[in-house]
Amino acid sequence: MDKKYGVYICTGCGIGEALDVEGLSGIAEENGMPVKTHEAVCSEAGRQVIKDDMANDGVNIPVICACSPRVWKEEFNFGEGTITVRANLREGVVWSMEKPSEERSQEVINEFTNELAQDYMRMACTQAKKIDIPEASQQETTNRRILVMGGGIAGLTAAREAAKAGHDVLLVEKTDKLGGKALGWRKQLPTKAPWSSLEESSIQELVSAVETDSRITVKTGTEVARVAGAPGDFKITLKTTGTRTEWDAPFRVTVDEQDKIEKGEMEDPNQGFRPYTEGNPDAEVVGAVILATGWVPADVSEFEHLGHGKLANVVTNAEFEKLAKEGKVPANVAFIQSPGGEDNDKDFPYANSVTSMVALKQAGYVREDNPDGKAYILYQHMRTPGNMELFYKGAQNNDGIFMTKATVTGVEEEGGALVVKAKNTLLQEDLDLQVDMVVLGAGMRPTTADASTINLSYRQGPGFLDLELFDGYADSNFICFPYETRRTGVYTCGGVRKATDMVETIDDACGAALKAIQCIESSDRGVSVHPRSGDNSYPEFYFQRCTQCKRCTEECPFGALDDDEKGTPLPNPTRCRRCGTCMGACPERIISFKNYSIDMIGSMVKAVDVPDDDEDKLRIVAFVCENDAYPCIDMAAMRNVSLNSLVRIIPVRCLGSVNMVWIKDAMSSGMDGALLLGCKFGDDYQCHFVKGSEIADKRMANIGETLGSLGLEPERCAVRQVAITDYDKVSDVINEFIDEIMELGPNPFKGF
Amino acid sequence: MSEGMKVQPDLEFIKYLKNAGGDTLKKCYQCATCSVVCPLSGDDKPFPRKEMIWSQWGLKEKLVADPDVMLCHQCGDCTTNCPRGAKPGDVLGAIRAYAYTHYGFPQGLAKLCSQGKNLPIMILIPTLIIGIVWWLSGGMKLPDGDINFGYFFGDAYYVLPVTTLLIQLIFVPTLLFAIYAFYRGISNMWKGMAAQLPATERNFRPSVTQFISEFIWPSVKEIMTHKRFNECGTNRNRVTGHMPLVFAFIALLAVTAYAMIRKDVFGLFIEGLHVPLTFADPFKILANVAGIALIVGVGILWVNRSRTERENNTTPTFYDWYPIGIVMAVGVTGMAAQIFRLGDVAVMAYLLYFMHLVSVFMLFLYTPYTKLAHMFYRTFAMAFEKYRASGYVQKQD
Repeated sequence: MDKKYGVYICTGCGIGEALDVEGLSGIAEENGMPVKTHEAVCSEAGRQVIKDDMANDGVNIPVICACSPRVWKEEFNFGEGTITVRANLREGVVWSMEKPSEERSQEVINEFTNELAQDYMRMACTQAKKIDIPEASQQETTNRRILVMGGGIAGLTAAREAAKAGHDVLLVEKTDKLGGKALGWRKQLPTKAPWSSLEESSIQELVSAVETDSRITVKTGTEVARVAGAPGDFKITLKTTGTRTEWDAPFRVTVDEQDKIEKGEMEDPNQGFRPYTEGNPDAEVVGAVILATGWVPADVSEFEHLGHGKLANVVTNAEFEKLAKEGKVPANVAFIQSPGGEDNDKDFPYANSVTSMVALKQAGYVREDNPDGKAYILYQHMRTPGNMELFYKGAQNNDGIFMTKATVTGVEEEGGALVVKAKNTLLQEDLDLQVDMVVLGAGMRPTTADASTINLSYRQGPGFLDLELFDGYADSNFICFPYETRRTGVYTCGGVRKATDMVETIDDACGAALKAIQCIESSDRGVSVHPRSGDNSYPEFYFQRCTQCKRCTEECPFGALDDDEKGTPLPNPTRCRRCGTCMGACPERIISFKNYSIDMIGSMVKAVDVPDDDEDKLRIVAFVCENDAYPCIDMAAMRNVSLNSLVRIIPVRCLGSVNMVWIKDAMSSGMDGALLLGCKFGDDYQCHFVKGSEIADKRMANIGETLGSLGLEPERCAVRQVAITDYDKVSDVINEFIDEIMELGPNPFKGF
Repeated sequence: MSEGMKVQPDLEFIKYLKNAGGDTLKKCYQCATCSVVCPLSGDDKPFPRKEMIWSQWGLKEKLVADPDVMLCHQCGDCTTNCPRGAKPGDVLGAIRAYAYTHYGFPQGLAKLCSQGKNLPIMILIPTLIIGIVWWLSGGMKLPDGDINFGYFFGDAYYVLPVTTLLIQLIFVPTLLFAIYAFYRGISNMWKGMAAQLPATERNFRPSVTQFISEFIWPSVKEIMTHKRFNECGTNRNRVTGHMPLVFAFIALLAVTAYAMIRKDVFGLFIEGLHVPLTFADPFKILANVAGIALIVGVGILWVNRSRTERENNTTPTFYDWYPIGIVMAVGVTGMAAQIFRLGDVAVMAYLLYFMHLVSVFMLFLYTPYTKLAHMFYRTFAMAFEKYRASGYVQKQD
């Protein structure tokens, strides 16, 4: 591609007053790029200047030196065949200018600030030279059919919604009947106004709607043996429920285990299974998968003081529902919602709000079946979100339903009846409730907690990873990306995703169906689904130099890379989320994106002008995650928080994409420190790509050792965690790091 | 494990409360807004929040022995501020209604007075008693000469006819009976409340003088000044109706007693005393002022209650309307009888006087079981409160 540059410096928003614009223009000219200034590049007139240059001179890489790349994105998108490079002079320089202090006078600050702006100019010009216009990866075929696993309310709804949207659906249910758990309900929670009374179960209507839908193929008594392939082209092997076949998804075998197997020290767990890379010619093909395999009643045996399994008539809510359906409801029943006694006030595990509502529903059965029925609900939390508040009110209005917050300390048997002991009640008395039956509000344990369920035929194994962080829920980030699992193209809904009631499940299933459709359409266009939706770049591998070290295949948080027998990665572009973790991982630096490459960032680092004779002018490079940390710094600038002018910030897709060669580049060019600012990692991580910041932290620890061996202090490299809300702290985080560097003094290799 | 309270919710009790104006009680979700606004609420007794959940749970025994329920004078602040429309004030009213029936002696009469559908019987009893006595006395005819209600029960004459005293024969025992009924009810209540005290605080027994001077008298003083009413927000203007009513009652009690002694005791021996008081007589002046105050006072309460029901959507109950009705009946029949007497319309005068006697009889007989019973129950509940808070009780170990 012929690259034609045009540099446009904005003098608006205070840039013109604070900076030496002529000097900045000079840098562009040094780089051989024509430069223009405008008092508002973002305005209609400003953009017209660029458009004219594009039309007249064939400019296709405009370098806009103005505001943060996070603003005016659409306005500065000049369409196909062009790519816009941004230099952040507004938030990054002018708005975050230091204020005069004892250490630095206004004059010194002006000097430092101009140097900062000039470096950003150099970096932007370098970026422009190194960047290429990405072209979407081309899929051979895209299958638009959707596989729905599970025929309960969630699966049925998802199937129906997907079919309504024009997609064919393959619905697989392992039992021989559609309907799932709802088949065992005596009545269901209200689904419509006035929301106050129980409804007859509507599951049969849903089942027949699915069964008569010509777009939906239903397979009951069937399980998914393995899911191979990638979004747009998943290969699904089915099997009869409960059988073992050669196409079952193989277990994960780590590199070490593989060694042992080869040496004969360990038995191959995948004996008799086809290799994960082998394609089944008879497989069903689908474009995306909706996982709606639901839940099982959670175990309550750990709460011995409540007597389940020991005392007759202490049952779980699931067991009570069955009794209620058979019409065996006693007159005096206590419903216990929180088992923690005096130690904690948590509800039963996996409870969410559902157990509260189920208790209200089942208390209704006690009243329906017994004219003098009394139902006691002892709770620490009564959770009835949304319209369900009306259902709560309805139950509360029932003369025979008695509720109190209470600490239940035990259930005992006394003369043939059960006595529930409760403390800290709203009645301001400890209670001994004499009842015929005790019902425990057991939660909904997702099927993914106990089995791989999805049975992927992936390099990283058949199940979702790190589920222990989420109590077994298949989740990539519950708050930010509720439907996403860590496997692109697989979306969860219903009880497998969260303990949900029926209304919530139906909403959830619609959402999952839409996500599946979005995934198929994005895959078809060769762009990323999520969270970089619409990104048409993708990692390209220069395989000739691959050493089969397997770091990329191991580290990809989304299992996008399979490998062949030798260990050479096999990319699956439609599984990829474009975070660049593979690029950061590769020691051979053979993985890059067209518009985000090892060379491009490395050259930008090297473009920074490092004075080698001035101890005050230290140079720190900061690789800043563009998901949270970079916006956080922008926000600080908008609030006029000063940022240290010694730092040169480079936004990165994710800290996971930071290749350690960039750190070496910085150190060898005489810079005094390298700082990585990214999302929180650990159990409550906030990384948009799940593992990126955590992996970066490990890599940085390793590079510290390498630096040490070269005689450089390992402390010159560091990772700091920044949340998007930390705009009031981020400047201090940076300053503390610089203070540490100042104590160390300048890079001893400066100038060599 | 320690013993907790053995709870047996009484579904019938809940149903009763719901029908007696507490139809909203199940709406309470224990947010305690009521306890924040209520001047009666203390740090360790969130009133009326706890009473609300006791009601929801049908804990009858705890509620009827709860002095706070009696101390509440339904200022309405809790009901106004309740975010859930549970109307705690109305629920407490229903509990009091239940308590008067619960403590009432004899139970049959108490139950009779608890329901509006029994009103015809309640009217019929005095109508028959007074009517039959009137008929038997031979007084049921238009006498000659000036209208003199003193000869209502017969006009045979030497100094006074014996039949004149029939009125005492009807009313004095009725009054004594009511007083005895009150005594029984209140002592039951007192025992119930004392039983709720911690065991260490139950043993103190004050002497009669101490009881009156330290517990009852301060309570009466507080009632007379309507001190607690003035702390009310929502129903503040009730004072303007209730206060004249209280003083009118006391005044009318005094003039009636005076008139009875003068006319029917001294009148037995001194001729000419058994005649209506002249209008210049200070007692007559007081009687007429009090009579008007009574009608005006109860009229204000009538208007207030209608407005509350309209604006706050309060359910009208027999419990709330009976006292207004009966006091209005007493006042209007008395005043009308006097006017017709002065206007010399004998038929109307005697008929209204008969109605006046019937309504006064009802007032006497039914007061211990209806809302009017609050005048004694509340006084003694206040006394109990002072008793409970007093050093004597607290010092007991």
